[in-house]
Formats: sequence, C-alpha cells, structure tokens
Amino acid sequence: MADSAQPPVGRRRRYLPRHPVAHLLLCLGAVVMVGPFLWQLTTSLQTFGESVSVPPTFVPRSLQWSNVTAVFAALPFGQQLLNTTLMTIARTVGQVLFSCLAGFAFARMQFRGSAVLFGIFLSVTMVPYQVFLLPQYQIMQRLGLLNTLVALFLPGMFSAFGTFLMRQFFRQLPMEIEEAARIDGANILQIFWRIMLPMAAPGMIALGVLVIIWSWNDLLWPLVVNSDPRQMPVSAGLASLQGQYTTNFPVLMAGSLLASLPVIVVFIVFQRHLMSGIAFSGVKG
Amino acid sequence: MNTARRLLSLCLTPLLLAAAACSGSSESADNEHVTLTYAIWDQAQSAAMKQIIEEFHAQHPNIDVQVQVTPWESYWTKLQTSITAGSGPDVLWMTMVYAKYYAVGGGIAPLDDKIKDSKLDMGAYVPAVTKAYTVDGKVYGIPKDVNGFGLCYNKKLFDAAKVKYPDDSWTWSDVIAAAQKLTNPQKGVFGFVAPEADELSWYLTVPQVGGQVISDDEKSSGYDKPATIQGIQFWTDMITKYHVSPTLQQTTDTDPLAMLTSGKVAMRYCGSWEPEEIAAVPYGKANIDIAPLPAGPDGNRKYYSNGLANSISAKSKHPQQAWEFAQFLGSERAAEIQAKTGTVIPAYQGHADAYAKAMPEFNLQVFVDHLKYAEPFPASTDTAAWRDTATKQFADAWTGKAPVADVSQRVAEAMNAALAKEKK
Repeated sequence: MADSAQPPVGRRRRYLPRHPVAHLLLCLGAVVMVGPFLWQLTTSLQTFGESVSVPPTFVPRSLQWSNVTAVFAALPFGQQLLNTTLMTIARTVGQVLFSCLAGFAFARMQFRGSAVLFGIFLSVTMVPYQVFLLPQYQIMQRLGLLNTLVALFLPGMFSAFGTFLMRQFFRQLPMEIEEAARIDGANILQIFWRIMLPMAAPGMIALGVLVIIWSWNDLLWPLVVNSDPRQMPVSAGLASLQGQYTTNFPVLMAGSLLASLPVIVVFIVFQRHLMSGIAFSGVKG
Repeated sequence: MNTARRLLSLCLTPLLLAAAACSGSSESADNEHVTLTYAIWDQAQSAAMKQIIEEFHAQHPNIDVQVQVTPWESYWTKLQTSITAGSGPDVLWMTMVYAKYYAVGGGIAPLDDKIKDSKLDMGAYVPAVTKAYTVDGKVYGIPKDVNGFGLCYNKKLFDAAKVKYPDDSWTWSDVIAAAQKLTNPQKGVFGFVAPEADELSWYLTVPQVGGQVISDDEKSSGYDKPATIQGIQFWTDMITKYHVSPTLQQTTDTDPLAMLTSGKVAMRYCGSWEPEEIAAVPYGKANIDIAPLPAGPDGNRKYYSNGLANSISAKSKHPQQAWEFAQFLGSERAAEIQAKTGTVIPAYQGHADAYAKAMPEFNLQVFVDHLKYAEPFPASTDTAAWRDTATKQFADAWTGKAPVADVSQRVAEAMNAALAKEKK
C-alpha cells in the first residue's frame, strides 16, 4: 500500500495519467470492498424499522447509539472478546509450535516409517472438518472439558496442514547450515531451536496469520462444545443474536462491528506481514 | 494431527480427570439439588423462557434450569452431536420437521408413562400439534406453540385503489380480483406477493383443495395428485398468469415481509409470529391490518401448521426433574407468559387471548381463530431429505420455466425414492 517514503512530486505527476484505467478499476474495487462495511456501520446506528425498509435506508434519521448498549445487555461481550483472544492465542502458539516440531522432524530426521506416518498426516487434511466434530466432542466430554475455555482451543492446537506447511519450509533450508552446526557439536534440539527455527520465521508468520484468521472467526466448534455464554467466543455470541423469525439487524451489526474492531487494529499494525503471509502460503482464510 | 492429539490427551487425562472428579463430587454429594439444561434456538423468546423458569424455580427450589440459546442452523448439529455423545440438554425444543427423526432414533424419550402418572390432560393442546409429536402411538413432546395464518393487507393501498378490505367471506377468486385492481406498475406496487416458501405458500393452499404433501401413512408423496398441483398453481399463477406478484428473483432478493411493510405489495399471507416485526416498522404499524386467511374455492380452510414441543432427552441424567420442568412448560401459566409477548400462540387451547391482545393495533384474533383448521406439518422420519429438494425444484415453476404439473411429477418421484429409502 502507501509507501512511507514520499514519492517525488515530478514522478507522481507523470504516474497518474499513465494508468487511468487501472486507477478507475482500483477505485471501483475499493468501493466494492468498503461498501458493505460502510453499510454495516450505518445499519448499526439505525432503528429496526429503518433497517428492514425497502428501498434500503443508508443514512439513519437519528443515530441509535442504544444498539451498542443493547449488545452489552444481551451478551457478556467483554468476557467473550477475552475468550476469543485467549482461544486465538492458544491455538496460534500451539499450532505454530507443534507444526514446527513435527514439520522439522519430517523434513530432516530419518526414522523408520517416516514416509508412511507423513502420508497418514496428509490424509487427515483430506477429511472435512465436520467429520471430526463428534469424535472431538466425545474426547472433550470424556476429559470432562465440556463448557470450558480449554475445550475451545485444545483440539485446535494441532494441525496436519500446519505440519505439512512447515515440513515444506524446512526442506527448502540449505542442508549445509545444519551440517555446520552438527560439526560444531550442536545436538538435534539445539539445531532446531537455535539454527533452523529462526530461519523458518517467514513460514511461522504465514502459518500464524492463517491460524489467527481462522480462529477468530471459528463458529461451529465453539457453538457445539460450549453452552454457557460466558465460555463462548464472540463469534458464537453474535450468532445467538439471530432469532428464529426476526433478527434485530442493527444490534447484530453493532455487535459485529465491535467484534471486528480488534481485527482491524491488528491488520493495520501487521499489514505488511499479513500480506506476505497470505501470499506465501497461497491459501486464503 | 490425530496422533499428536491422542498423545496429548493421554498426557493430560490424569490431570484433567482429577479436576473433573473434584467438580463432579461436589455436584453428586448434594443429591437433591440438580441443574437442568434447556436448549432453545430463538433469542427473541429467551426472555419469556427465563420468566417461566423463574416461576418454576420458585415452585421447585431444588431444580435450577439453565437456558442454552443456539441459533437454528447450529442447533441441530449441536443437538445431534451432544445427544449421540450422551451429554445433551435435558429438556429441548423440538420441531415437527425433526420429531420423528429423533423419536425413531432414540434421541428423545417417550413420555406416556409420565403423562399417565401425572394425569396430564393432553386434550388441552391443539390436536394437530399433539398428533405430530405422537410417533408409533407414543407421545414424544409436550406441545409448546402453534402457527396460525392470516391475510396481511395494506389499508392505505386498498383505499387508494378503492378496493373493499378483505373479510372472512374471501376465497381465492377474491384475492386474485383484488390483487389485479391493486397492482400498479407505474407506482411499482404489486397487489400480492407469492414467495416460494412451502410453509408460507403452498402448505396453506394445498390442504384447502384437498391436496396432500405426504400420504397419511407417510409412505408416498402427494405432490403428483391433481388437487396438490391446483394448490401450488394458485401461487405460480399470481406471477406467471396474472402478473400481480413480484417474481421469484425479487422475492429472493428482498424479504417479502419487508415489501409489505414498505408499501410495495398490498397483500401477503402472514404467519402468527410476524405482527411483532410489522409493528416494529412505523409504516407497517400505521397501515397494515390482518384479515382471515382466504378459504379455498369450496370454502375449505384446512392448512398445514408447524408447532414446537418441549421434549426430554432420552439420555437425560435427571429424567424425573426434566419431566417436572417439561410439564410446567406445558402448563396454563407458561402458556400465559408466552402469549403476552405476542411472539407465538401457545398450543395450550383457550389461552390465546393474551396473544390476541398483545398488539391492539392489529386484529390478531384472526390467527387464533385459524387454529381450529390446523393439520400437522408434513413430516416423515427424514423430512429434510425430500423437503429441501421440493423447494429447490419448484423454483422452475415459479419462474415459469416449466408447468407446475411437470415439476410436481418430478418432485413426487424424488420424494417417493427418498421415502422408500427411509423404510429400510
């Protein structure tokens, strides 16, 4: 995006007329991307009547700040935001750590059945997530973890995909560095921790970014495994604002907006890393 | 992933079991005091449910009830997962659509013995609802609420077109005639709206001409019967023959109820749960009223009604306490509390007055009077297997791509195949 270094004025003047079509397309793209978000913002300040009228209302007659307070009245919003944050941190740290350990082992350590074991790992990525729902639920139940914060993140701390990603990354790193470290007397854990892991930082960031995005939005698992609103992440809390027949859209939009604020802040701060992370992994969402 | 997960759970197990044991023992030591979980899916009704629970708790101080609100889509995933694992809610909302599935599968418990012991009068509830929750002669749910339907109309548009307001003498032909007069293409106003939504469209007209969606023995489809086709044709004609309704494209893009409350359509078939939403829109509150649902050509008023029941999980660890609570949920008092909110009509007969008076701006009595014509919602053990297909297929008839009779034939064949699979 915008470079922090100011471009020279002369260059800028020459640049603009050269790509008018590109600029027009980019502006259109920006409107398409920002439009729904702005609509969400105005809906969150409308009355219910305004939100369901045809043609749609874009500018509310008077700003309904009560929608925001209604979110806090309906949900333990602060607690849920905290739960989401803790869940995201635990899943991200867990996945990055375990995927690096396993990925390094698969990439660089030779042991019997390594190829078969890796094949089994890969086969897990081919099973749709919903299939794991019942067995994972039963594991949580037998561990006595239903309706706890731990249940939210425990199964999400391990990832076959992450292991695959990190294995590919470690394989790319030059063998010579590892050999040099071994000659200097480093054992396998030292090689991993001191030498290889720092070099794998881009891969870790890519994986971390993906896990954060997935975890922040995860809905089905938290809804199934936990029932107490105080043990739920904010995604599940917002989902429960939808009624069977009628949904109070302004309140739902106000809640969604509040829930996405932290993500927006994170995005602005880590914009550069996020872009390279998603570009690196080649996978979105 | 699996291996790592299993290893970790093995490592954690002793630790966590110890923790679980501690929390478990404190609960079981106090045998008298139990906490029930009550699963529902509608946030809008949770306030009424909490009030019912408060009064129940006052009568049964040893029983606490915790409400779990899960939105509709996830409710069934969660219920299936948790009941299979044996840790589901004790008492739960059930819909006619899934009642047979859970009853046959052993997820919800038959209540006949308890009904007999407690001398609960099942005759107090709307018969169609009780019938829908009776599977193989056993009752699997205490009726909670029932749906009535009426004709919502826009008084302002009727006045402008100088059309007489609808009344209880109206039949299909009156609706068509009025819709033609009310339709005004210059102003973008349609006389009627024909959405493609079974519950709010052909489930209301098919029984009025003696048609059937499913045979009484639940073994075959009724979609290929001429009467059923006639009941569906009423809706498609509004779009493709008389041009008095927005197209399927339009009703899919914009909620038909929003079209009504914005003055874009003059008439719409409405459900008893909708007045609350109409009243929330100032234009709707000022201009909409409700008339009895127009009868079929021969004056027949039968319709398919969904309605919920409170069921008890077959895996509940406190079946006796769960029964006490389910019984209270089915009581006169609980019906009164629900009715006052104006959201649903309680299935407990004779206590719909509070519902009818909840919003004096509308003639809600219309919905209550409709209940005596209710028939159980079409359902089999695996209703979803054919119901969703039917809705998808009928789109062709709504857009005019194929005649209703052809689509109905296709739907009937697919439905019969699905029903045949069920029996195995």
